[in-house]
Amino acid sequence: MIVAQQKPLEEIKAMIADAQKVLILGCGTCVTVCFAGGEKEVAILASQLRMATRLDGNEKEIREFTVQRQCEYEYNEMAADYIRDADLIVSLACGIGVQTVNEQFPEKLTVPGLNTSGLSQPTEQGVWVERCQACGDCILALTGGLCPIARCAKSLLNGPCGGSQRGICEVYAERETPCVWDQIYHRLKELGQLDKMMEIRPPKNWHPSRDGGQRKIVREDLRL
Amino acid sequence: MNYAKKLLAEVGLEPERLEIFFLSSAEGVHFAEIAADMTERARQLGPNPLKKIIRGQTMDTNGG
Amino acid sequence: MSDKEYIVGSNLEKALKAGYFVATGELGPPQNADRHEIERKARLLKGLVESVNITDNQTAVVRMSSISVAVILLELGIEPNIQMTCRDRNRIAIQSDLLGAYALGCRNLLCLTGDHQTFGNHPQSKNVHDLDSISLLQMCRDMRDKKIFQCGEAIKGQEPRFFLGAAANPFADPFEFRPYRLAKKVRAGADFIQTQLIFNVPKFAEFMRRVVDLGVHEQAYILAGVGPIKSLGAAKYMATKVPGMEVDPEYIERMTNCTRGLPSPAEIKAMPPKEAAEARRLRQEASEAEGIKICVEIINECKKIEGVAGVHIMAIEWEEAVDEIVKQAQIGPRYDPARQQPTLAH
Repeated sequence: MIVAQQKPLEEIKAMIADAQKVLILGCGTCVTVCFAGGEKEVAILASQLRMATRLDGNEKEIREFTVQRQCEYEYNEMAADYIRDADLIVSLACGIGVQTVNEQFPEKLTVPGLNTSGLSQPTEQGVWVERCQACGDCILALTGGLCPIARCAKSLLNGPCGGSQRGICEVYAERETPCVWDQIYHRLKELGQLDKMMEIRPPKNWHPSRDGGQRKIVREDLRL
Repeated sequence: MNYAKKLLAEVGLEPERLEIFFLSSAEGVHFAEIAADMTERARQLGPNPLKKIIRGQTMDTNGG
Repeated sequence: MSDKEYIVGSNLEKALKAGYFVATGELGPPQNADRHEIERKARLLKGLVESVNITDNQTAVVRMSSISVAVILLELGIEPNIQMTCRDRNRIAIQSDLLGAYALGCRNLLCLTGDHQTFGNHPQSKNVHDLDSISLLQMCRDMRDKKIFQCGEAIKGQEPRFFLGAAANPFADPFEFRPYRLAKKVRAGADFIQTQLIFNVPKFAEFMRRVVDLGVHEQAYILAGVGPIKSLGAAKYMATKVPGMEVDPEYIERMTNCTRGLPSPAEIKAMPPKEAAEARRLRQEASEAEGIKICVEIINECKKIEGVAGVHIMAIEWEEAVDEIVKQAQIGPRYDPARQQPTLAH
């Protein structure tokens, strides 16, 4: 799912410095599941900001509201009164939500309280690891179900490189990150598909990825 | 608890103001000890800066 | 490989084809815009090796570009091996640079993936990796042999023709896959291979056994990576801090013991300046002599391993050592007894 982390408190304080009435707007979907921007996190941040701005001698009125999903107009409508009442909105949604609220209520500025940073898997409680780069051309069938675009630091298609040592990728200083090509090799071996390792993969078509520009999916069968 | 202390520190308040203890209702003596310890800790840390500001504001509105 | 025709006709190709035990060298470009340092280092290598690698922003640190340094070397009468990595340039920039490199006289090209930018001095940069070393090899071979760009369009007029090289790391994992990956690189277009520095000959010999089993040594020339150890500190650093490098503990022991009998660093600290300088010089001499000696021994052992066509000598920031190394090992255009009459211009 989409995961994000709250920005440092100092950065958020700087963003709201000139506003008097601030709304912290949470989202009940992805950022709730990764404990970054749900109702509880909204309450905690609001409380911190009340205390911090009071200590700074620049006290603000901080209000709270959480919608089901901030990327859809219908849900954001429920927060309309709170939004219109505020000078500034701090959204605790992912980047999509922040932009949707700005678009829906353009008379107010909505700033991001989070840094959206990946399409990740919760590998254990409290840990999210990036798994997908949304490259638009999924090759997982060729690599035993492990993605080299997202999980190889160099996005190699014909890995591993010479820096793969005992199954660990040399790029990360703490030497704990597995080399995904080592993992792919062993998975393909288990599946009896090692011949795939010998196939020369041609250069990737990056056009369906961000490189080709902003992507748009249109499903005529679903349009009204 | 560590997380809550971190939140306070970010705001600029002393994390030592907050503590959690687990007791049963039978541990009266222990409860008293803890209360005394926390009171002493609070004295040493001084008044909560937030309360000072709030008191100041209330006094102003009362014309004091 | 038995036909008389050369793919490209560079000195490197000719020497390899003639069956000499070839030596190539390496030169690291400066972190500034001054050509004088290059000229100094180049002169230390001229005539000693067949051709000289010029690294391409090695370890992701910004340096003068490989192709521009190659042009300086060509002016000095030295054959360059340019390097191209996939980290900094997309397929458009790479093909563009290669067209120019050929036009400027470059003939040997190493196709590499490139060290990740987090190792270098600009870790915040965007990495490219549009291609990897294998798709890069294939693209370069197709430009040369099929006269097409990567998109399939025909190249009208002179196509860039490079003698293609690739890197191999016999000590990376999965070890069992490495010979196959080398085979893959050769299939993609590599004409010659240079390996990572070898400080573990038995493991390298095992790797070469598997490579020979696959017959790869008959399809590409394999050069063993060698280099002199400058000091005990350097040896320890390579053994512990460089991923993908294996150093036999015997060499660490030898680098430790070679300064036995000489004043220790602690003793030197207590000496008056003149004596201290002399003592330091003696220690350095002893270390450097041992480091070169080990390098020459490794070269001589590589000569005996089937499938090894030569060595690639990496003496970065110590180019002065190369003369001593090739002289003791009796390799290269100047010192190889098999090359009494140099047929190649150096």
